Amino acid sequence: MASESPSIEHSQKVNAARPIFLALAAWIVPGLGHLLQRRWGRALIFFVAAGGLAVVGYAMRGEVFTPLSSDPFGALGFLADACSGVSYFLPRFLEAAGPDISRAAGDYGTRFIAAAGIVNLLGVLDAYAIASRRRS
Amino acid sequence: MVVFALLVSIVLAGLARRTAAERIRYALWTLLAFLLVGVGIAWLMYPFSR
Repeated sequence: MASESPSIEHSQKVNAARPIFLALAAWIVPGLGHLLQRRWGRALIFFVAAGGLAVVGYAMRGEVFTPLSSDPFGALGFLADACSGVSYFLPRFLEAAGPDISRAAGDYGTRFIAAAGIVNLLGVLDAYAIASRRRS
Repeated sequence: MVVFALLVSIVLAGLARRTAAERIRYALWTLLAFLLVGVGIAWLMYPFSR
């Protein structure tokens, strides 16, 4: 059996890396993975939904979990928050007064921020599936 | 609750349906379901809040 030429092997490696690159793009900026694949509707949906949940959460002064949390809920909360990509770093711009979970609104805001991460995670998985041809 | 349900419904509709009309219909249906179930569960938990 003849071996494949280097150009075909390189092309296959590039094609295998493309879904991963698009998934990373979708993680960093909600909707970017779909935008790069010209899926305008899904790009807009994930950008508005994930971004909207994060912005509303910060407006309600929700808490953003840090990676140094000692309890399991804090660790899970950090994982959810980190899934929102660049939105994780927005509190310093949008939450000048800092989080306030002594009020119910702050508690809801914390859930909104975590939900933004989970919604973005759905977007990452969808972008990956489309790029690897598992979805149309 | 309404804002949360609306945004999540939009995402679910975008994933589950293909055309704009189908997405809008599905989003409205899931939004209504979220709100009804949310209020329903709240009422179910009400006796235990006292």
